[in-house]
Amino acid sequence: MSANLVGDVTIRYADLHPQVPGDGVPVLLLHGFGTDFGMNWRAAGWVQALGAAGTRVIGPDLRGHGASGKPTDSAFYLPEHFVADLVAMLDETGVDKVDVVGYSMGSRLAWELALTAPERVRRVVLGGFGAKNAFDGADLSDPGSGDTPFDLVYRTVAALPGNDAAALAACARAQASRPFDPDPPLTGIPLLLVSGARDALAEGAAELAERCGGTHVEVPGRDHANAVSSRAFRQAVLDFLAD
Amino acid sequence: MAQENFTFTLPDLGEGLVEATVLEWQVAVGDTVERNAPLVEVETTKSAVVIPSPKAGRIVELHAEEEQVVPVGDPLVTFAVEAAADAPQAGIVGRVPDEEARPARRVRLRPPSD
Repeated sequence: MSANLVGDVTIRYADLHPQVPGDGVPVLLLHGFGTDFGMNWRAAGWVQALGAAGTRVIGPDLRGHGASGKPTDSAFYLPEHFVADLVAMLDETGVDKVDVVGYSMGSRLAWELALTAPERVRRVVLGGFGAKNAFDGADLSDPGSGDTPFDLVYRTVAALPGNDAAALAACARAQASRPFDPDPPLTGIPLLLVSGARDALAEGAAELAERCGGTHVEVPGRDHANAVSSRAFRQAVLDFLAD
Repeated sequence: MAQENFTFTLPDLGEGLVEATVLEWQVAVGDTVERNAPLVEVETTKSAVVIPSPKAGRIVELHAEEEQVVPVGDPLVTFAVEAAADAPQAGIVGRVPDEEARPARRVRLRPPSD
């Protein structure tokens, strides 16, 4: 089923119970910049794979994305607002603790969630993510105008039906105003990083994993756009979350 | 039990996309797959997706190699599926082939050369 969480921005989320429930911890899936739950996770085979493993799946369309509200003021998109949405969603669904799996910007938010509310997070998976600042070199007064990896992503997603380019630009500016900081490292929560071997936005993933005492799995031949749907990625996560 | 072959073509992935690149098959010839199980991973200029199997059946043929570009509507995979119990089957009393399926008349203009 899907439901809406009403706050300063309305958040649409999916809460999917498996046909044959297992006794595992629910998985929270956080999509990347410019996509949504359906495109990043469902279409890429994740809902099917987790459901087949007996796992309950919870996943929002993050603010500014998919069927959620899309304000165009960047103040709405600071990382703490996303984290507040996630905690409110866990409260609403009655879930104490999740395994959180992020991709790209969703990984950055998974990291923030685990730092802010460690009692709500059992294990963390960061996909398509490294210690690198995703916005390096990008001119965010005119996103998509340059040739940085972020500009390439922006150009692809800004043209997708349903996306609001002004909301995405506001989101990018707010995220960039708080560059990812690997300090303090995420310790005390098991951590897995997975990225395509050709993913320029995930540079430094192995080092970040090492700093946090986590594991890094590299998917051969894949880039930022197509690592998320790979069987190797899904399998690495299923193995990491099992038991 | 009777089986029939069913060929699944690359579906319209939306957004006006006319083709997709096969990234990785999730099945091999001879595999038996459930409906909705992962079938093939493909990538368009917009996104990468895993196409679920539209049928339960046995994989008979894969029509594209990995990294091959496939136009929408072209054959992707052929399944052998159990024929539905109520499907038309030869030899069942009381069922006649559709009239359209039968040529109205046969004309042979020239004898076969061999």
